[in-house]
Amino acid sequence: MAKKKSNWGKKQRAVIVTGVRTPFVKAFGKFLKLDSIDLADLAVRALLERTDLPHEEIDSIVWGGVILPALAPNIAREVALDLRLPASVEGMTCTRACASGLQAVTLAAAAIERGEADVVIAGGSDSTSNAPLNLPQKAVHALAPLAFGKAATPADYLGVLSQMMPITEILPKMPKIAERTTGEVMGESAESMARRNEITREAQDHFAERSHHRAAEAIASGRFDDEVTPVEASGGWVYADNIVRGDTTFEKLSKLRPVFSKDGTVTAGNASALTDGAAAVLLMSEDKARSLGYKPLAALRSWAYVGVDPADQLLIGPALAVPKALDRAGMELKDMSFVDMHEAFAAQVLSVTKALASKGFAEVRLGRSKAVGEIDEDNFNVHGGSLAIGHPFGATGARMITTMANELASSGKETALLGICAAGGLGAAAVLEAVH
Amino acid sequence: MSDLLLENQNARKLIKTLGLPIPVPERLARAKGPYEERRLDDKTVLVCGTGALSAVLAEILTKAGANPWVVGESDAVLEPYNGPGEAWARTPRRIEPGDAPEGERIDAIVFDGTGLQSPDDLRQLYDYIHPWIRRLNRSGRVVIIGRPASDAKKPARAATRAGLEGFARSLAKEIGANGSIANSVFVEDGAEGRLGPVLRFLLSPRSAFISCQPFHVTNRAKGDEAPDTHVLGGKVALVTGAARGIGEATAELLAAEGAHVVCLDRPADDAPCSKVAQRIGGSALLVDITDDDAPERIAGELEERFGGVDIVVHNAGVTRDKTLGRMKPDAWDMAVDINLGAVIRITDRLLEKDVLRPGGRIVCLSSVSGIAGNRGQTNYSASKAGIVGFVKALSAKLAKKGITVNAIAPGFIETRLTSAMPVAIREGARRLSAVGQGGKPEDVGQAITFLSTPGAVGLTGETVRVCGGALVGA
Repeated sequence: MAKKKSNWGKKQRAVIVTGVRTPFVKAFGKFLKLDSIDLADLAVRALLERTDLPHEEIDSIVWGGVILPALAPNIAREVALDLRLPASVEGMTCTRACASGLQAVTLAAAAIERGEADVVIAGGSDSTSNAPLNLPQKAVHALAPLAFGKAATPADYLGVLSQMMPITEILPKMPKIAERTTGEVMGESAESMARRNEITREAQDHFAERSHHRAAEAIASGRFDDEVTPVEASGGWVYADNIVRGDTTFEKLSKLRPVFSKDGTVTAGNASALTDGAAAVLLMSEDKARSLGYKPLAALRSWAYVGVDPADQLLIGPALAVPKALDRAGMELKDMSFVDMHEAFAAQVLSVTKALASKGFAEVRLGRSKAVGEIDEDNFNVHGGSLAIGHPFGATGARMITTMANELASSGKETALLGICAAGGLGAAAVLEAVH
Repeated sequence: MSDLLLENQNARKLIKTLGLPIPVPERLARAKGPYEERRLDDKTVLVCGTGALSAVLAEILTKAGANPWVVGESDAVLEPYNGPGEAWARTPRRIEPGDAPEGERIDAIVFDGTGLQSPDDLRQLYDYIHPWIRRLNRSGRVVIIGRPASDAKKPARAATRAGLEGFARSLAKEIGANGSIANSVFVEDGAEGRLGPVLRFLLSPRSAFISCQPFHVTNRAKGDEAPDTHVLGGKVALVTGAARGIGEATAELLAAEGAHVVCLDRPADDAPCSKVAQRIGGSALLVDITDDDAPERIAGELEERFGGVDIVVHNAGVTRDKTLGRMKPDAWDMAVDINLGAVIRITDRLLEKDVLRPGGRIVCLSSVSGIAGNRGQTNYSASKAGIVGFVKALSAKLAKKGITVNAIAPGFIETRLTSAMPVAIREGARRLSAVGQGGKPEDVGQAITFLSTPGAVGLTGETVRVCGGALVGA
């Protein structure tokens, strides 16, 4: 193989060539036997097949994940090895909670823009079904010396056993989506955001209904065919997302009981479900894409990541990230042809859109006199969102990038805005622009 | 000896079950960890009165995470609260004047009395606070805000303003059994921007043992904006007498806010002092502050090792109690020299050589005995009252450089010193405070830490008692 020409330091534009994802499947279901790496393999393999990309052109894989496999946390490299890509295809795995997928894409874009690479596969995957059950540290500290130490005598085993009391202290801990610093479960955070921002149960259920209907319509119309690949799981082929309910109605949703507090408003219907899945995006320098004969779908014009106090409104981050990304793009909300917002909870999306539309929020938190703006319903989450499609934590960002890039390419419109909230009080946003 | 009525669950239960006529003090809510961004998160604060501060209060309270309930006859009172309310998702609620709605409870009352003109207006205190005072939750807070009486041109207006302080002091005694406190804050015209940190402190659990106190927020000392969290990042602090008790607690709290703390104590206390310094990632400095060369050595060390100092806490002190008739001259000299003489000598040296940096903070330890007088403590009281005069005079001199100088006067604090007191006196001293108990070293440490922050720039020349609203004292 010829030695690649180095573009190090050369300013070049990063473009999105294409994206593909596995169907998103409810956790502990059809993908039970596929862990985060398996899912990533499936998405990347499909991406390679669909693009006929010569493997030796790939510089690296950047992957995002939240529940990383403990024994091989660098998913990206495992994918390269699993798929028998050239050994030179290096890999790194990043984690930024639910923004991990977007993080992988922006890292790839940054590497290309810096001339570090020309062809990068970015994406993310997560398998809640394969979240490890951790032993409490007490048990680990007692057992590990036996596992890693010298040959143990029966007396050593006895010694370890004697430390294993009471039994409740050595049982595996159930994993849960809770903030490490505050101990608050994410649903409780959504609940408190609903209360604080006065987002009613009705508004949340209406929003959820709309998300399901739009997603179901996109699936039925074949809109997702280009970006979802059927995959073979142990129980047979899986062709489509299985969380979406096209037949759900506001009435059905409003019958569900609140999950996180008795008189609360957050239900299984207006919260995103635990999901298994993977999504991959192919990024290249514009020159490289054109020289290989690809037609780019879109490019990243700007992005922004922010942090807010997790003890306050955990998932309000996008309300700060969006204006920051728009500023960097030199654009305003009203310039956006599409807005795609990750739907962790209906309450969270509605809190964010309310903050964006608020003059008070803009004045106090952004230091500007005008509200960021109202989002036009027609251009907002046009094909539904995580409530209906599902939310494999690390994959969501890459899914959104793909859907919006395709939307720009097929509609002939110019710009799309992405917003993602994430655990730890993080927020992310990105502006995509069409490539002509 | 620990406080049986406070610490012993069985004793508390027994007294309550038997219905004994012993008031069981309420356990005070205290803060854990460093300053939080939203110090008043989810606290319901009733805002009432007819002053000019509504916009300022709206910003302070909503940003700190409180839920403002604003008393007023029309929604116009909510106007200043709407913007910040949307920004921080703390929607204001309007409360009709008059009776409190059934079942509603609140965590704090803030009365804006900056608009009060004549003694008749004091009736507002009754009208607004009477309906709600018994709805105050445990460890509740009342803050009465006014303008300083000394700034009033008309005597009647001065009287009205001064009246607020008496109201707060008496109210404090009423609500103390509930673990609640009441204080007054007098804001100089134009110093409203400096109210925020003071108000957040007084409404938070960090002021657990401060009650009946007036605070005067002025524009005297120069100062810039203040951070909300990690408030002492990059600062160097000197704490004398840091080996144990209040000094140790203070050193810990200052370090938790990001300061590098130089822990000073006598060479004889090498072990405990070094331990504290090591635990908080600070440095130890072993000096006997009464030595002739102590000021020189301290100034030299601070200059050489840290390039100066930002916060000086004069905490080291001794008691040598005897009635004046029986007191040996040594006892007099020692108490006055350590508690007052050394403080002045060290401060002077730090200022002469410009070791204390602009924007610095000096906090001296006074004592309630110094203010109220205490049998057998003529020497101690002379020294501690001297501190009050010292901070007043020095604060005026240093305001230009942005340096504030304040004193803290602890009341009964559970320390090594007070655990050696005779049981009956100790028990009496505890129950004489409005909150019916002694304070903890950390309560004093919290007050010192607050006065050391950039945000406390509005307070200078003050003597703040940390006494739980003790019966004696001014």
